[in-house]
Amino acid sequence: MQPQAQSGIGIISRVNETTRYTLIQEDSMTTTNSLARLLAFSAAALILGACSPGTPPADPYDQSKMDLKPPPAKVSSERHKGAFAEGGSLSMGAELKPLDPAPVKTVRLDTTHKIIEIAPGVKFSAWTFGDQVPGPTIRARVGDKIRFSMTNRSDEPVPGVQLTAAPMMHSMDFHAAMVSPQDKYRSIAPGQTIEFDFTLNYPGIFMYHCGTPMILEHIAAGMYGAVIVEPRNGYPTKVNREYVIVQSEFYAKLDPGGRKVDGAPLYVLDGDRLRTSQPSHTVFNGVHNGMVKKPLPAKPGERVRLHVLNVGPSKTSSFHVVGTILDRVWFEGNPDNQFRGMQTVLLGSSNSATVEFMIPEAGAYIMVDHHFANASQGAIGLISTDVKVETKDLEHHNIPASATPTDPDAVQGKLNFESKCLACHSVGEGKKLGPDVAGVTRRRSDEWLARWLKEPEKMLETDPDAKAMLKEYNNVPMPNQSLGDAEIQQYIRYFHWIDAQPAGAAKAGGAH
Amino acid sequence: MSARARAVLGAAGLLLAFQGAAAACGICVEDKIAAVYDHAIVTQALGRKHHVAFFLIDGPLVPGAGMRRAIEALAGSAHGVDKGSVRVSVEAASLSVAFDPQRVPFATVHRELDRKLSSKKLSLLPTRVMDQTAGLRAIGRQ
Repeated sequence: MQPQAQSGIGIISRVNETTRYTLIQEDSMTTTNSLARLLAFSAAALILGACSPGTPPADPYDQSKMDLKPPPAKVSSERHKGAFAEGGSLSMGAELKPLDPAPVKTVRLDTTHKIIEIAPGVKFSAWTFGDQVPGPTIRARVGDKIRFSMTNRSDEPVPGVQLTAAPMMHSMDFHAAMVSPQDKYRSIAPGQTIEFDFTLNYPGIFMYHCGTPMILEHIAAGMYGAVIVEPRNGYPTKVNREYVIVQSEFYAKLDPGGRKVDGAPLYVLDGDRLRTSQPSHTVFNGVHNGMVKKPLPAKPGERVRLHVLNVGPSKTSSFHVVGTILDRVWFEGNPDNQFRGMQTVLLGSSNSATVEFMIPEAGAYIMVDHHFANASQGAIGLISTDVKVETKDLEHHNIPASATPTDPDAVQGKLNFESKCLACHSVGEGKKLGPDVAGVTRRRSDEWLARWLKEPEKMLETDPDAKAMLKEYNNVPMPNQSLGDAEIQQYIRYFHWIDAQPAGAAKAGGAH
Repeated sequence: MSARARAVLGAAGLLLAFQGAAAACGICVEDKIAAVYDHAIVTQALGRKHHVAFFLIDGPLVPGAGMRRAIEALAGSAHGVDKGSVRVSVEAASLSVAFDPQRVPFATVHRELDRKLSSKKLSLLPTRVMDQTAGLRAIGRQ
């Protein structure tokens, strides 16, 4: 019995120790809590003191802290010959890529003249930034620097089609910038290149456009796009889906010369309609009813954020989403300009708004300009829960559907690849103009890849594998992208990451 | 020294003019050049080793096609100006012409144009000369 009693005593003793220990802990916590309360009180007193009359709170838009002295623009006769649009911060379609973390965003948007299809059978002679209408969307955040360059390539022939407008001078006007227009927004002649930097000081959705006279014609011909500037510390809300919607008008008429493109009549800018603000087409993202045929995907219960920019050039937009209520509207894309529970948001030319709403149940939610004359001209699109999309279309800002590298070099390599290479290469989806890069690190050594990325034209002269590849791909040579050594290593890290994933898991996003 | 080099040096020897006159979109020198930039004229001129000169028009301008045609006719008749190369924008108050610098120096072309346009109480302020593709050189007045 004694042992039991001892044992029992022993047990009690341990319980007591535990109890004491717990009590000590509580005492300690009590002490800690008291200190925390004291500190919190002191902090609150400090904050209250700071908020007292005579000491205004820090202004997030303190212009004395903004970068307002960018270096002068440089204009040269050097013609860029690579991709028309380059930069890890660029998104080419409605679906937005995640924010590129680099504090300096290098952006190239060359000007071109090309034929685009704005509605079925309507082949329009357009002028572009980055060879598309609207131009690519630039995504950055307050404090980031944009290192911009643009070559006027309006004189470059379009393969197979010689129906574009005559080459002319163009320029770039960024509404997101605070710079001298006479320095940065100069018009440049065909073949010239302009380069300039600017820092993003305000959050918002800003238009960019060609500012060369007649500006009305340059915008109406397609020379515009959006810059999305997130607040310095990001948006205050989380969403499941994020898209950009650019509304614009086209003023098209049949080519008086009766020219045709692939059997379809050519349409050109109608100056009479333009001057009297009578558009032939009003569209979202450059295409009449485009997002009716290809709805943007969402799921019931998801929260959607749209960055909406009305380019005009001459009409307002009464943007509305049928079937839901705009929970938050940040006018001009700045969360400081917030409305709640809106049915529409009215946007003049070059006005914008970021709107957030919830998809309440399964269905197709209709984005529309509630000026229904505009909607009837094509300003309509769908966000649908019934979209059967490819895996890559499911990838979005908050819920990546495919694996993503975490190594910063591989992340940068992925961003670069998606902005520069996806036109010719796929990741795990077979041959395009060039080889599928999935498995490339098993087919080639790093040294070979580095030489290939650095100087493909020299490799094609001497290397038997490069020569064989050229033959296999119909003698379409890999262009020299003027990559630096660090950038090449980022690509190779990304390629290794792809090859380390299970087959089919790695996908490239961002191309549309 | 070649005639081309002399012409370029002659142009460069002039004072840089009107750089700060701009205030907004459409008023910049380059925008005024854009209003009369004709790529076909430029390509044709440079192909023949001719130059294209761009000017601002100073004086009373009445908007309209009549005024444009009158200036084109006067400028087109000036000594040294390539036939059919005159482009005028009354709205932007600018003018461009092509000329052969080996035959007539820029200064002479400018003087001749001014003489012709003086009948309309107009004068020209030179801004840029293009002597190669994508090469707009600054120029000014003596």
